[in-house]
Amino acid sequence: MTIVIDALQYLGYVLIFPGFLFCFLAGMLLCGIDRKLVAKMQKRVGPPILQPFYDFFKLCGKETIIPAAAERNTFMLSPLVGLAALVVIQLFIPVFGFTAFSGIGDIIVILYLLLVPALAMILGGAASGSPYAGVGLSREMVTIISCELPLVLVLLAVAKTVGGAIGTGLCFSLSQIAEYQEVNGSLITKISMLPAAAAMLLLIPGETGSHPFDAAEAETEICEGLLAEYSGAPLGVFKLSHAVKMLSLTSLFVALFLGGLGTGILALDAVLLFLLCALITAASISFVHAFTARLKIEQIFKYYWTVVSLLAAVSLALAWYGL
Amino acid sequence: MNMLGNILSYQHFPIYAIMALFLGSFLIAAFGEKRSVRNILALLSVTAALGFILALMKPVVFHGEIISYWMGAREPAGGYAIGIALEVDALSFFFALLVAVAVFVSGVYSIQYMNRDDNEKEYYTLYLLLCGGVMGMVLSGDLFNMFIMVEILTFAAVALTAFRNTVRGAVEAAFKYLVVGCMGSTCILVGTAILYAQTHTLNLAQLAQLAPGDVNTATRLAFALLFVGFGTKAFIVPFHPLAADAHGAAPASVSVIISGVLTKSGIYGIIRICYFLFQSMGLGAMQFLLVFIGSLSMFVCVTMALAQHDFKRLLAFHSISQIGYVLTAVGLCTALGVSAGLYHAINHTLFKGLLFLAAGAVLHETGTTDLNKLGGLAKKMPHTTALFMVGAFSISGVPPFNGFASKWMIYQASYQKAVESGNIGFLLVTIIALITSVLTLASFVKVSHSVFFGQLPPELANVKEVSWGMRSAMGIFALLCIITGLFPNLVTAYLTEPAAAAVFNVKNYIEAMGFDGSAAVQLEAGGFQHAGVWDPVSWLLVLCIALLAITIVAVAGKYGNVSRCRAPAVENKYQLFYGGEEQEFSQLGGEDLFWGFKHNWRGYFKFMHRLHSGVVNDYALWAVVDLALVTLFSLIVL
Amino acid sequence: MILLNYIASFFLIGLGFYAIVTKYNLVKTVIGLSIADYGVNLLLISIGFNPGGTAPIFTWSELDYNSFFVDPVPQALTLTSIVIGACVTAMSLALVIKLEEQYGTIDTRKIRRLRG
Repeated sequence: MTIVIDALQYLGYVLIFPGFLFCFLAGMLLCGIDRKLVAKMQKRVGPPILQPFYDFFKLCGKETIIPAAAERNTFMLSPLVGLAALVVIQLFIPVFGFTAFSGIGDIIVILYLLLVPALAMILGGAASGSPYAGVGLSREMVTIISCELPLVLVLLAVAKTVGGAIGTGLCFSLSQIAEYQEVNGSLITKISMLPAAAAMLLLIPGETGSHPFDAAEAETEICEGLLAEYSGAPLGVFKLSHAVKMLSLTSLFVALFLGGLGTGILALDAVLLFLLCALITAASISFVHAFTARLKIEQIFKYYWTVVSLLAAVSLALAWYGL
Repeated sequence: MNMLGNILSYQHFPIYAIMALFLGSFLIAAFGEKRSVRNILALLSVTAALGFILALMKPVVFHGEIISYWMGAREPAGGYAIGIALEVDALSFFFALLVAVAVFVSGVYSIQYMNRDDNEKEYYTLYLLLCGGVMGMVLSGDLFNMFIMVEILTFAAVALTAFRNTVRGAVEAAFKYLVVGCMGSTCILVGTAILYAQTHTLNLAQLAQLAPGDVNTATRLAFALLFVGFGTKAFIVPFHPLAADAHGAAPASVSVIISGVLTKSGIYGIIRICYFLFQSMGLGAMQFLLVFIGSLSMFVCVTMALAQHDFKRLLAFHSISQIGYVLTAVGLCTALGVSAGLYHAINHTLFKGLLFLAAGAVLHETGTTDLNKLGGLAKKMPHTTALFMVGAFSISGVPPFNGFASKWMIYQASYQKAVESGNIGFLLVTIIALITSVLTLASFVKVSHSVFFGQLPPELANVKEVSWGMRSAMGIFALLCIITGLFPNLVTAYLTEPAAAAVFNVKNYIEAMGFDGSAAVQLEAGGFQHAGVWDPVSWLLVLCIALLAITIVAVAGKYGNVSRCRAPAVENKYQLFYGGEEQEFSQLGGEDLFWGFKHNWRGYFKFMHRLHSGVVNDYALWAVVDLALVTLFSLIVL
Repeated sequence: MILLNYIASFFLIGLGFYAIVTKYNLVKTVIGLSIADYGVNLLLISIGFNPGGTAPIFTWSELDYNSFFVDPVPQALTLTSIVIGACVTAMSLALVIKLEEQYGTIDTRKIRRLRG
């Protein structure tokens, strides 16, 4: 009997909170807030906050066209796999004290899982056979490489800081990191973690591929790159994935640096998480979006491997010497 | 009856496994004129070798026995080993199992892969000779015997590299490999000779007993020579160009053996000399040597791979990059590190074998491996594509495939080492390993786009899927990739941990041969502490549930509402959007990808391109310089 | 006296490697390999040498604790090494012939289609 209840509970985690339904609603809302904020900052009225929902349902009603050059299965399957991988990431990220699945993965797993949605998009684009997708794929991969180094440094710095404090030397487990913050307060209050948090903030737009790091999609040059041949429901799923990715990365930021703020009541925590995510989205995505122009791909690479990596490396060095 | 029982005792199985391969080779040379006879003999001998090795699993792994076998029952006399010995501990068994599996699968693949070549008889003779050489080397308990086996395998590998001598660069690659490989073999022999002069024995166990006792200039020199010699077999930096050249020209089934198994024999040799023969020389410095060369191989080769536009050459560079991972992890000198390194060694054999076989399948059907001339094969060869993707995901460490499980352990081991020793160098190693991994992914994204996805070039319109025999060989590897990825606990418990324990148990190794092991340095193994958690089966379950849920929602919606656009000009519906132009073939060549990255590193790439000049003298010079540096290092630091 | 052997053997190995590194003629590269091999053989045979020892050929009745002979093991090794050296030479010369056929030259600087 308990097995059935457990199974239902886990199914609930996957489907409702913090899984699929939560991802869908919160991600889309984040996306809407982002668009509204950017518009406001640029002195436009902007779309209503629920616009991403309208867009999504509209797209789902449209016909899907598979180009003649495309490899059908990969083309149709990859949006779904990408979305599923994102939902799974969300399941591993602790919501303050609460973790849906704690014994399965750790920071390094998250680091690699973040590659999976991007990989799904790349393969889908590649399978479409469009040369625009080829260029988009090349740029997307370079963006991933760019973000990888600073992200690795940030995660290692966090692992060292927490591990040094709890006495195991290093700690990759996200739930342990969350527990540590429950007891000792948020990591962002540590001086050594400040540069890492700043680097993470700068990483979020790069990882999600938002402006100005959206060379991979660049509507005006390469017709949305990887998505050039996508239409209808698969395109809608990719748009949804983009929204969910914003949620994943911002909630990863919350889990890494802003833990310990939770109230202990899950519903309140969920709302709090969403509010914090919205705040981080505003700071790291919308704000940067509003006042920058798109960077060229080699500039993105240079920027991440110099400025952002330096920030993260400073943090790692501080953590290394126990500050 | 008793005699039969004696013959079938597992004590004899190591020599049977070696003899099965060599005998197969000789029989094919003698009677292999007919194709059916040849194929049966080849299959029989690889299957027999696999069977004998698998039968050893029970005594060696489960009972922890070390099999010592004196050829002709010539046991040591007067405390000195006179006869030739085989000694199979968990480490040897581990490598032998890798050899047996790779040899078996590659043998099955060869049957149909080589059917368009002439001189198949010579091919199988050399192929089994190569396999027997590798098998003999990892099971041998005698340093000089190891040298003989190394020579046999080098010879067979060189001959097989030049086997398709009409392929561009095949003979050239073979010649380069022969020259530098023979320099390496000469180094091994000189090292062996010096050790013999010092200790008057060639038996590994006895050397392990005697060598630590007197560390002097001569043994240091011997260490450097042996290290460089086995380094040439493992193709670690600076010998990586040889691997790239050789793989590009050799048949794919041979590449599987060269990359999956021959390089492992080099790693095996390095483990034996570093941990068994010279462990008293100061492991700290030896650690530095292994980890430094490992990280260098890892990084240099992955960047070299990014610059390639030949499928097999690219795979060859990746092969050495992964060997770098193995060497680095093994060099960490912790139980977790060695275990992780060996785990990665298994995975490397499996996924690299799979990738080379996929490359071979593409070559077999299209006649080229140039990334700029291929594309869109997913529609023509769906199974090969799926199998290739399994390999590509495995090597780039996408969870839940096997590459991820071992890399995850390697990061932990290196970072733990960094934290424990306070040495910032190991931290750097962790970062390099992580970056190398993402560059590997980039490289395989390039391959999958340029070969399997993208647009199909018009001249490849008649390509067909490869035969079932080749697909099933790839399928075996793919299945093993998934299994070893999903059950890391089983793999570590039954394969890598016993082998790692053998590395840290030199005393048992010496005493199993009847020598006095009391003087052996017992290494502190340390426990297996995981700083993180990774449970692939649960993860996969969660992913499947999420995917299922999403798919149901999608299908309930209008996801399946698809219309296929065959050709824009034909369908009236879309004509509005076209100016009436024909759809042209426009595929982005493999060379043109990742511009933003290459542009920022153009100085580095230019430098590397100049360095890999392709002149055999330069590669020989690298070997000499490497030898000089390692000698200096071992004389001064060790 | 035996020291001279050691010096000579390492000199030969060094000379062989020197030839491989500096000579652009494929045949000279092969000669370099052979010279290095001879060096190794000399080294091996010198290691087994005992001043005043006889050849290690005895029957069981002749063998006693007073027999003084050179070490037979390195001699066995040397024989093996000579065989391997011959194989290397044969194989590499075969490859040189093929290379000359395909490239029309035996200059290593021109045989570099595989690079980078």
